[in-house]
Amino acid sequence: MTYRNRKAIRLLSVAPALMALTLLPACFDDDDDGDIIAAPAPTPTPTPTPTPTPSQASFDVTPCLTQEIPGTGGFTVADAVVPDTLTLNLAADAGFPNGRLLPDPVIDATLAVIFLDLTQHSPFTFANIPLNPPENDVAFQSGFPFLAPPQGSPPIASSGGSNFSFRSDPPGSYVRVDRMGMPAVATVLIGSDQKIPYNDARPQDDVTGEFVPELTEQLTGLTQALADDLTNAGLTPCAMPS
Amino acid sequence: MRRNAKLMAGAAGLVLAVGATQVLPGLGLNAADHLDPPGRTDPSVDSTPDRAADIADLYAWHTDDKFNVILTFSGPQATDQPANYDPDVLYEINISNAGNRASTEIPIRVRFGRGSMTDEFGVQVTNLPGVSDALVGPVETDITKDGVMVHAGLFDDPFFFDLQGFMETTDTGDLSFMADRDFFAGQNLTAIVISIPRDRIENGDNLIDVWASTARFGGQL
Repeated sequence: MTYRNRKAIRLLSVAPALMALTLLPACFDDDDDGDIIAAPAPTPTPTPTPTPTPSQASFDVTPCLTQEIPGTGGFTVADAVVPDTLTLNLAADAGFPNGRLLPDPVIDATLAVIFLDLTQHSPFTFANIPLNPPENDVAFQSGFPFLAPPQGSPPIASSGGSNFSFRSDPPGSYVRVDRMGMPAVATVLIGSDQKIPYNDARPQDDVTGEFVPELTEQLTGLTQALADDLTNAGLTPCAMPS
Repeated sequence: MRRNAKLMAGAAGLVLAVGATQVLPGLGLNAADHLDPPGRTDPSVDSTPDRAADIADLYAWHTDDKFNVILTFSGPQATDQPANYDPDVLYEINISNAGNRASTEIPIRVRFGRGSMTDEFGVQVTNLPGVSDALVGPVETDITKDGVMVHAGLFDDPFFFDLQGFMETTDTGDLSFMADRDFFAGQNLTAIVISIPRDRIENGDNLIDVWASTARFGGQL
Protein backbone atom coordinates (compact mmCIF):
# COMPACT_ATOMS: atom_id res chain seq x y z
CA MET A 1 0.00 0.00 0.00
CA THR A 2 1.43 3.27 -1.09
CA TYR A 3 0.56 5.10 2.07
CA ARG A 4 2.17 2.51 4.28
CA ASN A 5 5.28 2.38 2.15
CA ARG A 6 5.67 6.11 2.26
CA LYS A 7 5.28 6.02 6.01
CA ALA A 8 7.75 3.21 6.38
CA ILE A 9 10.29 5.19 4.44
CA ARG A 10 9.75 8.21 6.61
CA LEU A 11 10.19 6.13 9.74
CA LEU A 12 13.27 4.46 8.39
CA SER A 13 14.74 7.91 8.04
CA VAL A 14 14.25 8.34 11.75
CA ALA A 15 16.20 5.24 12.62
CA PRO A 16 19.63 6.85 12.26
CA ALA A 17 18.67 9.25 15.02
CA LEU A 18 18.41 6.34 17.38
CA MET A 19 21.59 4.79 16.11
CA ALA A 20 23.35 8.07 16.68
CA LEU A 21 22.51 7.90 20.34
CA THR A 22 25.46 5.59 20.83
CA LEU A 23 27.33 8.59 22.15
CA LEU A 24 25.18 8.67 25.23
CA PRO A 25 27.47 8.19 28.18
CA ALA A 26 26.73 4.86 29.75
CA CYS A 27 27.22 6.30 33.20
CA PHE A 28 24.96 9.32 32.91
CA ASP A 29 22.74 8.13 35.68
CA ASP A 30 25.47 7.01 38.00
CA ASP A 31 23.96 8.59 41.08
CA ASP A 32 20.59 7.00 41.07
CA ASP A 33 20.35 4.16 38.64
CA GLY A 34 21.12 1.56 41.24
CA ASP A 35 18.22 2.69 43.33
CA ILE A 36 15.85 2.67 40.41
CA ILE A 37 16.67 -0.75 39.17
CA ALA A 38 16.88 -2.25 42.61
CA ALA A 39 13.35 -1.33 43.52
CA PRO A 40 11.57 -4.00 41.47
CA ALA A 41 12.63 -7.25 43.09
CA PRO A 42 14.89 -9.14 40.69
CA THR A 43 13.40 -12.43 41.78
CA PRO A 44 9.83 -11.59 42.64
CA THR A 45 8.03 -13.95 44.91
CA PRO A 46 5.07 -15.59 43.23
CA THR A 47 1.91 -13.97 44.48
CA PRO A 48 -0.99 -16.37 44.07
CA THR A 49 -4.05 -14.42 43.11
CA PRO A 50 -7.35 -15.31 44.73
CA THR A 51 -9.14 -15.55 41.40
CA PRO A 52 -6.72 -16.92 38.86
CA THR A 53 -7.90 -17.39 35.32
CA PRO A 54 -6.33 -19.91 32.98
CA SER A 55 -5.44 -17.32 30.36
CA GLN A 56 -3.84 -14.85 32.72
CA ALA A 57 -0.34 -15.46 33.90
CA SER A 58 1.64 -13.31 36.26
CA PHE A 59 4.51 -11.34 34.81
CA ASP A 60 7.76 -9.84 35.96
CA VAL A 61 8.25 -6.55 34.11
CA THR A 62 11.75 -5.97 35.48
CA PRO A 63 13.27 -6.96 32.11
CA CYS A 64 11.15 -4.26 30.45
CA LEU A 65 12.53 -1.59 32.75
CA THR A 66 16.13 -2.74 32.61
CA GLN A 67 16.33 -3.34 28.86
CA GLU A 68 18.43 -0.97 26.83
CA ILE A 69 16.81 1.15 24.17
CA PRO A 70 18.74 0.02 21.08
CA GLY A 71 21.56 2.23 19.96
CA THR A 72 21.60 4.43 23.02
CA GLY A 73 24.75 3.06 24.59
CA GLY A 74 23.10 1.79 27.74
CA PHE A 75 20.10 4.09 28.13
CA THR A 76 17.45 1.83 29.63
CA VAL A 77 13.68 2.17 29.66
CA ALA A 78 13.94 2.94 33.38
CA ASP A 79 16.46 5.66 32.60
CA ALA A 80 14.05 7.16 30.09
CA VAL A 81 11.18 7.17 32.55
CA VAL A 82 13.04 8.00 35.78
CA PRO A 83 13.56 10.88 36.27
CA ASP A 84 10.53 12.03 34.30
CA THR A 85 12.35 14.43 31.99
CA LEU A 86 13.07 14.79 28.31
CA THR A 87 16.74 13.91 27.95
CA LEU A 88 18.95 15.27 25.18
CA ASN A 89 22.37 14.18 24.06
CA LEU A 90 23.46 17.16 21.99
CA ALA A 91 26.17 15.11 20.30
CA ALA A 92 23.55 12.89 18.66
CA ASP A 93 20.79 13.67 16.21
CA ALA A 94 17.60 15.13 17.68
CA GLY A 95 14.45 13.04 17.85
CA PHE A 96 12.56 11.00 20.41
CA PRO A 97 13.74 9.52 22.71
CA ASN A 98 16.68 11.92 22.29
CA GLY A 99 14.55 14.92 23.21
CA ARG A 100 11.31 15.31 21.33
CA LEU A 101 10.53 16.84 17.95
CA LEU A 102 7.04 17.96 17.00
CA PRO A 103 6.51 15.16 14.42
CA ASP A 104 7.83 12.28 16.55
CA PRO A 105 5.40 9.32 16.95
CA VAL A 106 5.93 9.24 20.69
CA ILE A 107 2.99 7.10 21.76
CA ASP A 108 3.66 4.20 19.40
CA ALA A 109 7.36 4.39 20.28
CA THR A 110 6.60 4.39 23.99
CA LEU A 111 4.20 1.44 23.73
CA ALA A 112 6.91 -0.55 21.93
CA VAL A 113 9.68 0.08 24.43
CA ILE A 114 7.55 -0.73 27.49
CA PHE A 115 5.95 -3.90 26.06
CA LEU A 116 8.35 -5.47 23.57
CA ASP A 117 11.64 -7.28 23.89
CA LEU A 118 13.93 -4.73 22.27
CA THR A 119 16.53 -7.37 21.46
CA GLN A 120 13.91 -8.82 19.10
CA HIS A 121 11.92 -5.80 18.00
CA SER A 122 12.55 -2.21 16.99
CA PRO A 123 11.26 0.68 19.09
CA PHE A 124 9.45 1.61 15.86
CA THR A 125 7.59 -1.72 15.59
CA PHE A 126 4.24 -0.10 16.31
CA ALA A 127 5.02 3.21 14.62
CA ASN A 128 5.87 1.34 11.42
CA ILE A 129 2.36 -0.14 11.27
CA PRO A 130 1.22 2.45 12.56
CA LEU A 131 -1.12 1.94 15.50
CA ASN A 132 -1.87 5.61 16.05
CA PRO A 133 -2.08 8.47 13.59
CA PRO A 134 1.47 8.88 12.25
CA GLU A 135 1.48 12.62 11.86
CA ASN A 136 -0.29 15.84 12.76
CA ASP A 137 -3.41 16.79 10.81
CA VAL A 138 -1.84 20.03 9.61
CA ALA A 139 1.74 20.78 8.64
CA PHE A 140 4.18 22.26 11.10
CA GLN A 141 6.20 25.32 10.16
CA SER A 142 9.80 24.67 9.24
CA GLY A 143 10.96 27.79 11.06
CA PHE A 144 10.19 29.56 14.32
CA PRO A 145 7.69 29.33 15.98
CA PHE A 146 7.40 25.83 14.43
CA LEU A 147 3.80 25.11 15.49
CA ALA A 148 0.99 25.34 12.94
CA PRO A 149 -1.25 28.41 13.12
CA PRO A 150 -4.54 27.98 14.99
CA GLN A 151 -7.30 26.24 13.06
CA GLY A 152 -10.70 27.79 12.45
CA SER A 153 -11.37 31.46 13.09
CA PRO A 154 -10.77 31.95 16.80
CA PRO A 155 -10.45 35.39 18.38
CA ILE A 156 -6.78 36.32 18.40
CA ALA A 157 -5.28 38.65 20.99
CA SER A 158 -3.57 41.81 19.88
CA SER A 159 0.06 41.41 18.87
CA GLY A 160 0.77 44.88 20.22
CA GLY A 161 0.50 46.82 23.43
CA SER A 162 2.82 47.70 26.26
CA ASN A 163 2.78 48.42 29.97
CA PHE A 164 1.67 44.91 30.72
CA SER A 165 1.12 44.11 34.39
CA PHE A 166 2.73 40.91 35.60
CA ARG A 167 2.63 39.34 39.03
CA SER A 168 5.91 39.83 40.84
CA ASP A 169 5.18 37.31 43.57
CA PRO A 170 7.97 34.80 44.22
CA PRO A 171 7.55 31.20 42.99
CA GLY A 172 6.82 30.16 46.57
CA SER A 173 3.53 32.02 46.39
CA TYR A 174 2.30 29.63 43.73
CA VAL A 175 0.98 26.09 44.30
CA ARG A 176 1.87 23.27 41.88
CA VAL A 177 -0.84 22.06 39.52
CA ASP A 178 0.85 19.97 36.82
CA ARG A 179 4.21 18.70 35.67
CA MET A 180 5.48 16.94 32.57
CA GLY A 181 8.65 15.50 31.13
CA MET A 182 8.26 12.36 29.03
CA PRO A 183 5.04 12.11 27.06
CA ALA A 184 2.44 9.71 28.47
CA VAL A 185 4.43 8.53 31.49
CA ALA A 186 2.34 10.39 34.05
CA THR A 187 -0.86 9.46 32.25
CA VAL A 188 -0.25 5.82 31.34
CA LEU A 189 2.08 4.49 34.01
CA ILE A 190 0.84 6.33 37.08
CA GLY A 191 -2.43 5.09 38.57
CA SER A 192 -5.26 7.26 39.78
CA ASP A 193 -4.29 7.21 43.44
CA GLN A 194 -0.75 8.39 42.68
CA LYS A 195 -1.50 11.10 40.13
CA ILE A 196 -1.61 13.98 42.59
CA PRO A 197 1.61 13.10 44.44
CA TYR A 198 3.30 12.40 41.10
CA ASN A 199 2.38 15.77 39.67
CA ASP A 200 3.49 17.46 42.88
CA ALA A 201 6.91 15.79 42.76
CA ARG A 202 10.18 16.79 41.12
CA PRO A 203 12.86 14.83 39.27
CA GLN A 204 14.80 14.81 42.56
CA ASP A 205 11.93 12.77 43.99
CA ASP A 206 11.80 10.50 40.95
CA VAL A 207 15.42 9.46 41.33
CA THR A 208 14.88 8.30 44.90
CA GLY A 209 12.76 5.54 43.39
CA GLU A 210 9.65 6.87 45.08
CA PHE A 211 7.40 6.05 42.13
CA VAL A 212 9.12 2.93 40.82
CA PRO A 213 6.74 0.56 42.67
CA GLU A 214 3.81 2.38 41.07
CA LEU A 215 5.36 2.36 37.60
CA THR A 216 6.10 -1.34 38.03
CA GLU A 217 2.61 -2.16 39.24
CA GLN A 218 0.91 -0.31 36.39
CA LEU A 219 3.17 -1.82 33.76
CA THR A 220 2.55 -5.27 35.22
CA GLY A 221 -1.21 -4.79 34.98
CA LEU A 222 -1.00 -3.63 31.39
CA THR A 223 1.28 -6.52 30.52
CA GLN A 224 -1.06 -9.07 32.03
CA ALA A 225 -3.82 -7.78 29.81
CA LEU A 226 -1.81 -7.63 26.61
CA ALA A 227 1.00 -10.20 26.75
CA ASP A 228 -0.99 -13.11 25.30
CA ASP A 229 -2.08 -11.00 22.40
CA LEU A 230 1.39 -9.71 21.67
CA THR A 231 2.62 -13.29 21.72
CA ASN A 232 -0.20 -14.43 19.44
CA ALA A 233 0.82 -11.75 16.97
CA GLY A 234 4.31 -13.16 16.84
CA LEU A 235 5.81 -10.48 19.04
CA THR A 236 8.03 -11.17 22.02
CA PRO A 237 7.04 -9.27 25.16
CA CYS A 238 9.82 -7.98 27.36
CA ALA A 239 8.05 -9.21 30.49
CA MET A 240 8.79 -12.69 31.76
CA PRO A 241 6.17 -15.09 33.10
CA SER A 242 6.64 -15.48 36.82
CA MET B 1 -14.59 3.60 6.53
CA ARG B 2 -13.84 1.95 9.81
CA ARG B 3 -10.54 0.22 9.72
CA ASN B 4 -9.24 -1.44 12.83
CA ALA B 5 -5.55 -1.25 13.38
CA LYS B 6 -3.86 -4.58 13.12
CA LEU B 7 -0.46 -5.41 14.30
CA MET B 8 1.28 -7.16 11.49
CA ALA B 9 4.06 -9.33 12.73
CA GLY B 10 5.03 -11.57 9.92
CA ALA B 11 1.72 -12.85 8.60
CA ALA B 12 -0.04 -12.79 11.92
CA GLY B 13 -2.52 -10.07 12.66
CA LEU B 14 -2.85 -9.13 16.28
CA VAL B 15 -6.24 -9.83 17.67
CA LEU B 16 -6.53 -8.78 21.25
CA ALA B 17 -9.12 -10.83 23.07
CA VAL B 18 -8.61 -10.17 26.71
CA GLY B 19 -12.19 -10.47 27.80
CA ALA B 20 -14.77 -7.77 27.98
CA THR B 21 -14.81 -7.62 31.73
CA GLN B 22 -11.15 -6.82 32.00
CA VAL B 23 -10.24 -3.20 32.18
CA LEU B 24 -6.65 -2.17 31.71
CA PRO B 25 -5.47 -0.55 34.89
CA GLY B 26 -3.78 2.80 34.97
CA LEU B 27 -4.86 4.04 31.59
CA GLY B 28 -6.60 7.34 32.11
CA LEU B 29 -8.72 9.19 29.62
CA ASN B 30 -5.99 11.65 28.89
CA ALA B 31 -3.14 11.65 26.47
CA ALA B 32 0.37 13.07 26.43
CA ASP B 33 -0.40 15.12 29.50
CA HIS B 34 -3.66 16.78 28.52
CA LEU B 35 -6.21 16.72 31.39
CA ASP B 36 -3.70 15.24 33.83
CA PRO B 37 -3.87 15.14 36.78
CA PRO B 38 -7.62 14.62 36.28
CA GLY B 39 -8.42 15.76 39.83
CA ARG B 40 -7.19 19.23 38.97
CA THR B 41 -7.66 19.68 35.24
CA ASP B 42 -10.27 17.28 33.83
CA PRO B 43 -13.80 18.75 33.73
CA SER B 44 -15.26 15.25 33.96
CA VAL B 45 -13.57 14.77 37.33
CA ASP B 46 -13.03 18.28 38.70
CA SER B 47 -15.81 20.88 38.89
CA THR B 48 -13.21 23.65 38.75
CA PRO B 49 -10.68 22.38 36.21
CA ASP B 50 -7.60 24.55 35.87
CA ARG B 51 -7.40 24.80 32.11
CA ALA B 52 -4.69 27.43 32.02
CA ALA B 53 -2.40 25.34 34.22
CA ASP B 54 -3.07 22.07 32.40
CA ILE B 55 0.08 21.11 30.52
CA ALA B 56 -0.65 19.43 27.20
CA ASP B 57 2.83 18.67 25.90
CA LEU B 58 6.51 19.45 26.21
CA TYR B 59 8.94 19.40 23.29
CA ALA B 60 12.69 20.00 23.30
CA TRP B 61 15.20 19.57 20.51
CA HIS B 62 18.52 20.85 19.38
CA THR B 63 19.88 22.00 16.04
CA ASP B 64 23.39 23.01 15.06
CA ASP B 65 23.02 26.37 16.75
CA LYS B 66 19.76 26.42 18.70
CA PHE B 67 18.07 24.76 21.64
CA ASN B 68 14.32 24.90 21.11
CA VAL B 69 11.62 24.16 23.65
CA ILE B 70 7.84 24.33 23.37
CA LEU B 71 5.35 24.11 26.22
CA THR B 72 1.70 23.68 25.21
CA PHE B 73 -1.24 23.99 27.57
CA SER B 74 -4.97 24.68 27.90
CA GLY B 75 -5.92 22.22 25.22
CA PRO B 76 -7.20 20.74 23.18
CA GLN B 77 -9.99 23.23 22.64
CA ALA B 78 -12.49 24.15 19.93
CA THR B 79 -11.34 26.39 17.13
CA ASP B 80 -13.73 29.19 18.07
CA GLN B 81 -12.10 29.65 21.48
CA PRO B 82 -9.44 32.24 22.38
CA ALA B 83 -6.03 31.58 23.88
CA ASN B 84 -5.69 31.32 27.64
CA TYR B 85 -3.31 33.92 29.08
CA ASP B 86 -3.84 33.63 32.82
CA PRO B 87 -1.87 36.15 34.93
CA ASP B 88 -2.17 33.90 37.99
CA VAL B 89 -0.33 30.90 36.55
CA LEU B 90 3.44 30.48 36.71
CA TYR B 91 4.94 28.31 33.97
CA GLU B 92 8.37 26.84 34.60
CA ILE B 93 10.61 25.16 32.05
CA ASN B 94 13.39 23.58 34.05
CA ILE B 95 16.66 22.72 32.36
CA SER B 96 19.40 20.59 33.87
CA ASN B 97 22.84 20.80 32.26
CA ALA B 98 25.30 20.14 35.08
CA GLY B 99 25.39 16.38 34.61
CA ASN B 100 23.03 15.52 37.44
CA ARG B 101 19.88 14.81 35.50
CA ALA B 102 17.56 15.72 38.37
CA SER B 103 18.87 19.15 39.29
CA THR B 104 17.70 22.40 37.72
CA GLU B 105 20.37 24.88 36.69
CA ILE B 106 18.21 26.99 34.39
CA PRO B 107 14.68 27.57 35.77
CA ILE B 108 12.98 29.53 32.99
CA ARG B 109 9.82 31.20 34.28
CA VAL B 110 6.95 32.46 32.16
CA ARG B 111 4.09 34.72 33.25
CA PHE B 112 1.27 36.44 31.39
CA GLY B 113 -0.07 39.91 32.12
CA ARG B 114 -2.84 42.17 30.94
CA GLY B 115 -2.30 45.25 28.82
CA SER B 116 -4.23 48.49 28.75
CA MET B 117 -6.77 47.20 26.22
CA THR B 118 -8.96 44.15 26.77
CA ASP B 119 -7.44 42.30 23.83
CA GLU B 120 -3.86 43.04 24.88
CA PHE B 121 -1.79 40.47 26.76
CA GLY B 122 1.90 40.39 27.46
CA VAL B 123 4.33 37.57 28.14
CA GLN B 124 7.28 37.83 30.52
CA VAL B 125 10.12 35.31 30.53
CA THR B 126 12.79 35.38 33.22
CA ASN B 127 16.00 33.43 33.84
CA LEU B 128 16.77 33.05 30.15
CA PRO B 129 20.49 32.30 29.90
CA GLY B 130 22.46 35.19 28.48
CA VAL B 131 19.51 37.56 28.64
CA SER B 132 19.78 40.58 30.87
CA ASP B 133 16.63 41.11 32.91
CA ALA B 134 13.28 39.80 31.78
CA LEU B 135 12.20 39.33 28.21
CA VAL B 136 8.82 41.09 27.86
CA GLY B 137 6.53 41.71 24.93
CA PRO B 138 3.07 41.13 23.52
CA VAL B 139 1.67 37.71 22.76
CA GLU B 140 1.04 36.60 19.17
CA THR B 141 4.33 37.93 17.88
CA ASP B 142 8.02 37.04 17.87
CA ILE B 143 9.98 38.75 20.63
CA THR B 144 13.78 38.81 20.54
CA LYS B 145 16.14 39.89 23.29
CA ASP B 146 19.86 39.23 23.60
CA GLY B 147 19.71 36.43 21.05
CA VAL B 148 16.74 34.55 22.51
CA MET B 149 13.46 34.38 20.61
CA VAL B 150 10.07 33.85 22.28
CA HIS B 151 6.56 33.53 20.88
CA ALA B 152 3.44 32.95 22.98
CA GLY B 153 0.13 32.50 21.27
CA LEU B 154 -2.76 30.39 20.09
CA PHE B 155 -1.76 27.49 17.85
CA ASP B 156 -3.00 24.22 16.43
CA ASP B 157 -2.65 21.41 19.01
CA PRO B 158 0.43 19.62 17.65
CA PHE B 159 -0.28 16.27 19.32
CA PHE B 160 -1.69 13.38 17.27
CA PHE B 161 -3.16 10.33 18.91
CA ASP B 162 -6.25 8.13 18.76
CA LEU B 163 -7.69 8.97 22.16
CA GLN B 164 -10.99 7.23 21.37
CA GLY B 165 -9.14 4.03 20.55
CA PHE B 166 -7.19 4.39 23.74
CA MET B 167 -10.41 4.70 25.75
CA GLU B 168 -12.00 1.77 23.93
CA THR B 169 -8.90 -0.28 24.59
CA THR B 170 -9.15 0.46 28.29
CA ASP B 171 -12.87 -0.30 28.35
CA THR B 172 -12.82 -3.55 26.44
CA GLY B 173 -9.31 -4.93 26.69
CA ASP B 174 -9.34 -5.14 22.91
CA LEU B 175 -6.76 -3.10 21.08
CA SER B 176 -8.85 -0.55 19.22
CA PHE B 177 -6.43 2.00 17.81
CA MET B 178 -7.15 3.44 14.38
CA ALA B 179 -4.38 5.23 12.57
CA ASP B 180 -6.79 7.47 10.72
CA ARG B 181 -8.60 8.74 13.83
CA ASP B 182 -6.84 11.67 15.48
CA PHE B 183 -8.68 13.06 18.49
CA PHE B 184 -6.52 16.18 18.44
CA ALA B 185 -7.17 17.04 14.81
CA GLY B 186 -8.93 20.33 14.25
CA GLN B 187 -8.29 21.65 17.73
CA ASN B 188 -6.19 24.42 19.18
CA LEU B 189 -4.31 25.30 22.38
CA THR B 190 -2.02 27.93 23.84
CA ALA B 191 1.74 27.60 23.62
CA ILE B 192 5.04 29.17 24.59
CA VAL B 193 7.88 28.72 22.10
CA ILE B 194 11.45 29.54 23.10
CA SER B 195 14.59 29.36 20.96
CA ILE B 196 17.91 29.77 22.76
CA PRO B 197 21.44 29.81 21.32
CA ARG B 198 22.64 26.24 21.83
CA ASP B 199 25.94 27.25 23.40
CA ARG B 200 24.07 28.76 26.34
CA ILE B 201 22.59 25.36 27.21
CA GLU B 202 25.35 23.00 26.11
CA ASN B 203 27.81 22.09 28.85
CA GLY B 204 30.51 19.80 27.57
CA ASP B 205 29.23 16.28 27.05
CA ASN B 206 26.60 16.53 29.76
CA LEU B 207 23.16 15.26 29.00
CA ILE B 208 20.49 17.98 29.04
CA ASP B 209 17.25 17.22 30.89
CA VAL B 210 14.08 19.26 30.55
CA TRP B 211 10.80 19.20 32.44
CA ALA B 212 7.99 21.65 32.91
CA SER B 213 5.59 22.54 35.68
CA THR B 214 2.69 24.86 36.28
CA ALA B 215 1.61 26.48 39.52
CA ARG B 216 -1.27 28.79 40.46
CA PHE B 217 -0.96 31.89 42.62
CA GLY B 218 -2.66 31.49 45.96
CA GLY B 219 -3.50 27.82 45.51
CA GLN B 220 -5.29 25.46 43.17
CA LEU B 221 -8.73 26.16 41.77
